[in-house]
Amino acid sequence: MSYSTTDQAKHVSVFRTLPVHLAIFAGLILLWEFVNLYGFEDRIQADMIAPRPTHIGLAMIDIFFIDKTVWHHLGSTFQKALLGASIGTVIGMGLAISATLSETFRKYIKPWIILMEATPRIAVGPIFVALLGFGLWSAVALAALVAFFGPFVNTFQGLMEIDEESEEMFRSLGASKFQTFWKLRFASALQLISAGWKLATASAFGGALVSEFIQASEGMGVLIAQYVIMITMDYAFAALLSVTIFGYILFKIMEYMDYHLIFWQNDLLMLKVSEKRRKKMGVSS
Amino acid sequence: MKSLNLLISFAKYALSFVIAIGLWEAYARFGGLNELFLPRPSKIGAKLYNMFFETGMIYWHFYVTMAQMAIGFTYGIIIGNTLAVLAAFNESFRRYIAPYAVVFNVTPGIAVLPLIIAWFGFGWESKIALATLVCFFPPFINTLTGLLKKDDAAVELFQTLGASKYQFFWKQQLPNALPEIFAGLKLAITTALLGTIVAQFGSATEGVGILMQRFAFSLDMAGSFASLVTMALMGLMVFTIAEVMDRRIVFWRDAKGLERVSKKRSKKIA
Repeated sequence: MSYSTTDQAKHVSVFRTLPVHLAIFAGLILLWEFVNLYGFEDRIQADMIAPRPTHIGLAMIDIFFIDKTVWHHLGSTFQKALLGASIGTVIGMGLAISATLSETFRKYIKPWIILMEATPRIAVGPIFVALLGFGLWSAVALAALVAFFGPFVNTFQGLMEIDEESEEMFRSLGASKFQTFWKLRFASALQLISAGWKLATASAFGGALVSEFIQASEGMGVLIAQYVIMITMDYAFAALLSVTIFGYILFKIMEYMDYHLIFWQNDLLMLKVSEKRRKKMGVSS
Repeated sequence: MKSLNLLISFAKYALSFVIAIGLWEAYARFGGLNELFLPRPSKIGAKLYNMFFETGMIYWHFYVTMAQMAIGFTYGIIIGNTLAVLAAFNESFRRYIAPYAVVFNVTPGIAVLPLIIAWFGFGWESKIALATLVCFFPPFINTLTGLLKKDDAAVELFQTLGASKYQFFWKQQLPNALPEIFAGLKLAITTALLGTIVAQFGSATEGVGILMQRFAFSLDMAGSFASLVTMALMGLMVFTIAEVMDRRIVFWRDAKGLERVSKKRSKKIA
């Protein structure tokens, strides 16, 4: 008897699953299209609740290639989110590194961090708008505020978890404090840290969008809201979809960076890098 | 001795808190701060006192926000956990929803807010819907990872003891997944609160979110900071509730809880 619930995933090849995936996707889209066409009494209501996929597709082509409205707004939102994520990451990692290096700092910062964690930080949005005005910077500030937490927690956790045997080895080899930090603590924490960067980017997008809903003249939040107010739901869906697409691209880029930065995770890549380094040092293998 | 140590460390925290607030207050008194930028702590305190004890106007908004959050959270965990259980027990279902999960994960749920307002209107429904939408994902992912986590030794033990599938699920798989499930719930409860408040920014007539926005836009900074403190309070409340539940139910996570429960159970059996 076996409890056949979990991972007995035989590796099904991509070529076999891909058609099924595509078929399911096409079926869903078709179903959606038919529901819109025949499922409602009222045409306006139908387009309001579930605009036709073909219309969404046409709207996508329009905003990307014909009217080209989306580029400007995408650029604005990306600028806010990425600036916010970078500032948030620097602050978060700075705090985390100081907290690992000094115990007193760690102790006194702890209650504030708990307080920060419990507060819905996005809620500070209106205050930032009142403080920093309607421009770019209130959005960046909000994005940074919501983004800093992920890198902080992850960096802190990664730096605190240390392999004692390796530490002993570093000590017995007479490594300096800086070397121990950089080559041991930081390197072993890098995986968690980069996960923190991804978290930061995702939450910075949320922050930027919320700030745009509260106030803004440009950005994807504004664009989506505008389309909804004009009751052109197909365009609103297209705008939402473009956020998804570019979010996905950004996510993939970060994963790629991750893969090359933390090369020792992958055996093949590690072999390549060590070969290169060996050559550089002039040691023959 | 232990309680004394605890008291001392608590006093230290309280002291550092008081000093920070005192510095802020003093700096503001001597004109270092623009009142429109950062109001004095005493003013925020006075506003809080006013809202909670003099007019009592905050309670209604507090209740509305908490209720919307609770309903959204309930829907979210029901949807998230159901999907996770389905995905855990049916491999092809898991495989075919995986791409949609990825797409969903990279779309900021908050971006759907205008659409949700158009669909659900300006009332409670839109807040509940946004809270549900943003909070269902963490329970889904966490429950799924928890259920897929496999302890080979335990599986073998259950097999040799001839446990039924039903017993295996309730006594091994589910308890084994509970730490992850609760971590998901903790994440979900804070994101549900966040979704509710953001939806209130979008459109609302009642709730702490709209209260804060009104204060901020009428440049009553003390008022908006007071509502921020209220939100922090709410966050702490829901977080503490989730934490306590977590400790009670997943008692085997720390040694003390394990000891407590096993003592109780052994008494019961003997």
